[in-house]
Amino acid sequence: MQSYWFGDIEDRRCTMFAGDTDAIIDRVQSVVTCMDTFIPPDWEQAVLCGACHDRQEYLATLQTVCIAAAERSIRERYSKKDAELLQMVRTLDEIDMVINLLSEKAAEWYLIRHPSFSRKYRRTPSHALVKTMHDKSKGALGKVTGEIGQLGITRTILAKEVSGRANDVMPNTSALIGGLVAARLMSHAGGLLPLSRLPASAIQVLGARTALFSHLKTRSPCPKHGIIFQHRRVHNAPRDIRGKVARVLAGKLAIAARIDYFRGVAEPEFLDTAQRRIDAVGKESGP
Amino acid sequence: MIWIGDVLVSQGEGAVYRERMLDGARVWDPYRSKLSALYYLGKGIELTPAMRVLYLGAANGTTVSHVADYVEVVYAVEFAPRPMQDLLEVCRRRRNIIPIMADAARPELYAPLVESVDLLYQDVAQPDQAAIVLRNSVFLKPGGIIILMLKTRSVDVRKKPMEVFNDTIDLLTSAGLVMKESEWLAPFHADHAAIICIKPEA
Repeated sequence: MQSYWFGDIEDRRCTMFAGDTDAIIDRVQSVVTCMDTFIPPDWEQAVLCGACHDRQEYLATLQTVCIAAAERSIRERYSKKDAELLQMVRTLDEIDMVINLLSEKAAEWYLIRHPSFSRKYRRTPSHALVKTMHDKSKGALGKVTGEIGQLGITRTILAKEVSGRANDVMPNTSALIGGLVAARLMSHAGGLLPLSRLPASAIQVLGARTALFSHLKTRSPCPKHGIIFQHRRVHNAPRDIRGKVARVLAGKLAIAARIDYFRGVAEPEFLDTAQRRIDAVGKESGP
Repeated sequence: MIWIGDVLVSQGEGAVYRERMLDGARVWDPYRSKLSALYYLGKGIELTPAMRVLYLGAANGTTVSHVADYVEVVYAVEFAPRPMQDLLEVCRRRRNIIPIMADAARPELYAPLVESVDLLYQDVAQPDQAAIVLRNSVFLKPGGIIILMLKTRSVDVRKKPMEVFNDTIDLLTSAGLVMKESEWLAPFHADHAAIICIKPEA
C-alpha cells in the first residue's frame, strides 16, 4: 500500500483521506513510508480519488497544507524554552562588545580634550570612567557617553533576565556554573538539545575554537578551558590544577545538560554529589 | 534561459530580495546564487515551463524564486526554522513553490508529499551530500537530471577540494548515476563544484 497526503492506494484502488488541513498535516507526520517500495504520488491518482479536480487544484491544496505544516513546525521549534534564551544571551554579549568598543573610542576622544588626563595609576572601573567623562563633557561626546551609560543599565537588566531564564530552562547546569555562563554554553552549542548531545570534552573547550584548532593543526598546547573559565571555580583555581578542575566540571556539566534537556527539573541529589566532587578537585594540590 | 545582453534574468514578480530589475525582468546574480553562476560559466541545463523540481536546501528562497519563475513547480525542502520563515513569505506570493520543512537526509518523512520530478537540485551544507542525493533520487523520473552543488568544505575541511570532488563522483557513479558534466564555480563561489548527472532509464 502507498500512503500519500491525499489518500491511500492499494491494488490501484484509492481511498481518499477526508479531513481539513490540520488533519492532513497530522496524517503526513504519522505516515510511515518505506523508501524501498515507495512510488511517488501522482496528481492524476488524486483526481481519481476525488481529492481534487485538476492539477492546479492539486498543487494549490498541497501548497496550503505544506505552508500550514511549516508554520506549525516553526511555531513548535520557537516555543521551546531555549529559543528565546539563546537570542537573549547573544544580544547580551553583543551589548557588552558595543559598550567596550564605544567606551574605548569615547576615552580616546576625551583624552584629546583633556591633555593632562591619563588612566595610568587609577583604579577607576570603566563604567565610572564613562560617568566622569559624561559629567565633564558637552555636546556630542556628552551624548555618546550618556548613551553608553544607558546601554550599561539595559545590560544589567538583560543580564538579570538571562540568568533568571537560564535557571528556569537549565536548572542543573545553572546550579553548577551560574545562569549566565550556562546560557553562554547553550548559545555556543546552538541550543539545549545540541548542548546535551556534546561530550564533556567538547563542553570543556566550548568557546576556545581558535586555540583548539591551532592545537590540532600545529603543536601548540591544547586549550584547558573555554567559556567555563568564566566560572570562579575554574579561574580561581591554582594554575597547575585549573585544567583538572575544568575537566571534572565539564564532565558534570555534560550530565547536567542531559538532565536539563530530558527532565527539565533540578535534581538535588545529583547536584549535591557533583558540587562535592568539583570542590574536592579544587582542594587537591598538584595535578 | 533568458539573457538580456549578457545578464541572466528570470520573468516574475520582483522585489523578492531587493534584486535589480532589467526591462521588467529579475536579474539573477551569479555571486549570490550558485545555479546562476553555473549558467554564467556556460554549463547547466535549460529550465523549461513544464519542469517539476525538487530543491533540497532551499534556504531563504532567493534561488528558489528564480527557479520557480522558469518551471512549473518547485518542491523546496529546508530544515532550519529561521530561513523557512522567509521562504514561506516567498511561497505566499508564488503559488508554484511547495515548502517542506524537513531534513533532506530523511526523505521518508516528506515522501507522501513529493511527486516525480524532472530535476533534483541540491545545495546543502552537510558532510554526506552524495548520500543525500542518492536517497532523494527515488523522486527522480528515469532520465531525470541531478544538479549537485557540492560544498567541498562541508564534506571535510581537512581534505583538498579536488579530493572531495573525486570521491563524490565515485560515490555517485558507483550507485548507478551517469555523469554528464561538472564545473568548479570559481570565480563566483570558492571551493564549490557543480556536478550534473543523469538517472539512467530503468
